Amino acid sequence: MASIEFVNVTKEFEKKDIIKDLNLTIKDGTFTVLVGPSGCGKTTLLRMIAGIGPQSSGAVLINGDDVTAVAPGKRGVAMVFQNYAIYPTMSVRENIEFGLKNNKVKKEERNQLVESISAAVGLTDYLDRKPSTLSGGQRQRVALARAMVKEPSVFLMDEPLSNLDAKLRAQMRLDLIELHKKLGTTFVYVTHDQVEAMSMADTIVLMNNGLIQQEAAPEEIYHEPNNLFVAQFIGTPPMNIGELGVDGVKFGFRPESAQTSDTPVDEYLSMEGEIATREMLGSETLYQMKYKDSAFMLKSNYAFYKVNQKIHIGVPEDKIYLFDSEGTRIRKDHERYSSYLEVLRGY
Amino acid sequence: MKKKTFWETCRPYVMIGPAMIGIFLFVIYPMLYLVYLSFFKYNLLNSAMSRYVGFENYIQIFNRPDFYKSLTNTVIYTGGVVVLTMLISLFFAVWLKKQTRLNYIIQAGIFTPHIISIVSVSLVWLWLMEPNLGFLNFALEKLGLPTSQWLQSSKTALFSIIIVSVWHGIGYYVLILVAALQGISPNIYEAAELDNTSRFRVFRRITLPLISPQMFFILIIMTIGSFKVFDTVRIMTGGGPNNATNTLVYYIYGFRTTNIGYAAATGVVLMVIIGILTFIYFRLMSKKVHYQ
Repeated sequence: MASIEFVNVTKEFEKKDIIKDLNLTIKDGTFTVLVGPSGCGKTTLLRMIAGIGPQSSGAVLINGDDVTAVAPGKRGVAMVFQNYAIYPTMSVRENIEFGLKNNKVKKEERNQLVESISAAVGLTDYLDRKPSTLSGGQRQRVALARAMVKEPSVFLMDEPLSNLDAKLRAQMRLDLIELHKKLGTTFVYVTHDQVEAMSMADTIVLMNNGLIQQEAAPEEIYHEPNNLFVAQFIGTPPMNIGELGVDGVKFGFRPESAQTSDTPVDEYLSMEGEIATREMLGSETLYQMKYKDSAFMLKSNYAFYKVNQKIHIGVPEDKIYLFDSEGTRIRKDHERYSSYLEVLRGY
Repeated sequence: MKKKTFWETCRPYVMIGPAMIGIFLFVIYPMLYLVYLSFFKYNLLNSAMSRYVGFENYIQIFNRPDFYKSLTNTVIYTGGVVVLTMLISLFFAVWLKKQTRLNYIIQAGIFTPHIISIVSVSLVWLWLMEPNLGFLNFALEKLGLPTSQWLQSSKTALFSIIIVSVWHGIGYYVLILVAALQGISPNIYEAAELDNTSRFRVFRRITLPLISPQMFFILIIMTIGSFKVFDTVRIMTGGGPNNATNTLVYYIYGFRTTNIGYAAATGVVLMVIIGILTFIYFRLMSKKVHYQ
C-alpha cells in the first residue's frame, strides 16, 4: 500500500514542456484514473511513477519518500503496458516468475506464487505455452499476472484494455474493479476512454495539455464540471454547448436533461427544433436536434420521433451550466449568474 | 467441378518456365556436370582422350595430406572469422543501437569497407602488413608492442587473413543486428527494468533470444561464405607461406589446368561438407532460435 505524490513536477521533451509544475496527490488504496485526450501527459505521469521516464525537475514521492534516485525495479511498483510487453521468447510461467527470479525468491515460494496467481487469472492450463500462441485476452492476463505476482504496493496500468474487443473489455473492467477490491492496493490507471474512467475510478484526474483540469470522483466530475473542457470530455454524448450571446458566455446542458415533447414544454429553457439524426441504442434513443445555427444532442426514452420532425424541448433551471469566455464554470455565487441565466429565458 | 482447359493446366508451368530454364542452365546443369567431371581423368587439350576413372579422384583426395592441410586451414579460418565477426558485430550493434547522429556516422564508417572490392582491401592490407615498411608494425613499434611477421610467417599468416576478412565483413552484419535490435519494443526493456533485471540478465535472457533469428542467419551465411574463401588468399598469400593459408577453394583453383577431374571431385567434397554443416546447424540450433 502506498500513496503517491507529485511535487512541482516538470517534464521536458525535446525542449518543450509536456508537463509544467504539476502537483497531485494520489491517496493510498484508491483506484485513480488519469484520463484525457492523447498527448495530454497522462502516460508521462504514469511513467514517472514507474521511473522509466523520470521527471525533468520536481519530485515524485511514494509513501512520502522521494523516489527520484530509486531504480524502477526497487520502487515496489508493477506496470501493465498497453501492448502488454510480455517477454516473447519465454513461456507464460517464465514470464510470470521472471521478476521473482531477479529478486532471488526461493523456488518453492516462487512455484507456489505462480500457481496461485495463474489460477486467479485463469492461466493454469497455459503455463507452458509461448505468448505467441495465446489470444489477446490471455496475453493481457499474462501481463496482469506478471504484475500481480510481485505483490506491488502500486499497480500502474497504461491503457491495458485498449487492444481488446468491446465485450472482453467490459468483462475485464469488472475483473479489474474486483481485483482492486480484493487487493486494496493503489491503482493508477491511464486511459483516453472516459467510459473506462467513469466506470472504474474512485477518483478521476482529467488532464489536457499537461494541466490537470479537474480531480474529483466520477459523480462530481459529471455533475459539477470545473470548466468547458471537462463538460465536453465526460459523458456520451458530451454536454451540449450553446452561445449565450453576452460577454462570450456559453451555456450547456446534458443530453438527458432535456425533456422532449410534441407540444411546447414549460421549463426554464425551452425551444423548438427539428430532428436531424436518430440513433436507436436500445433502452434509449439519441437524437440530434437542429435549432437555428446550432445542433443539440438529446437522449430520450421515447424512440418514435422521426427525422425532420419538429419537436419541443425543455431544460430545468438547475440543469443548466454556464461558462465564461475562458471556459471556466460560472457558479451560482457569481455576481452575474442570475443575469446571465435571465438571457436564456428568451433564447 | 468444371474441367480445366489445356491452357489452364499449362499456365503455371509456362509462367515459371523462363526462371526454371535459367536455374537449370546456370545452377543445376553446372552442378551435375561438376559431379560428372569428378569421375574422369580429364584431358583439357583433347577431351576425347578423357578417361572414366570412377571413384579414383575421391580416393586420391582422401589419401593426400595437402587436402587435409587445406581442409584444416579452411576450418580454422571459418571458425576464426565466424566467431570474431559475430562477437565484434554484436558489440558494435549494441553500441550503435541508439539512433544518434554520431552513431549514424560511425555505422556508415564501419559499413564502408563492405562496399570496397575485396581485391582492393586485400592489396591495401598487404601493404599495411608488410613487416619492415608496413604501417601496422610501425604503429606497434611506436606503442612499444611486439611486432609481427604477419603474412610472411606460416604461424601468423592465416590469422592475418582472418583479420582482413573480419574487418571487411562486420559492417554488413552490424547493419543487420542493429536493425534487429531496433525492432525490439522498448516496452519490453522497460518491463524488464520494472522486474528488477540486471543488465547482464537483460542481455542474456531478452536481447539475445530476440535477435537469435538474425544471429542464426549470420552464422549460416558466414559459415558458407567463409568455407569458400578465395580472393584474399589469392591476392595476399597465394596459399603460402608453406601452404599455411591454402584453403579448399584455393586448393581447387590450383588444379584448374593440371587436373580438372580432381578439382571437380574436391569441389563436390566441399559442397557436401557445407551441406552437412548447414544441416547440423539447423538440427542443433533450431531449438535455440526464437521465431516470433
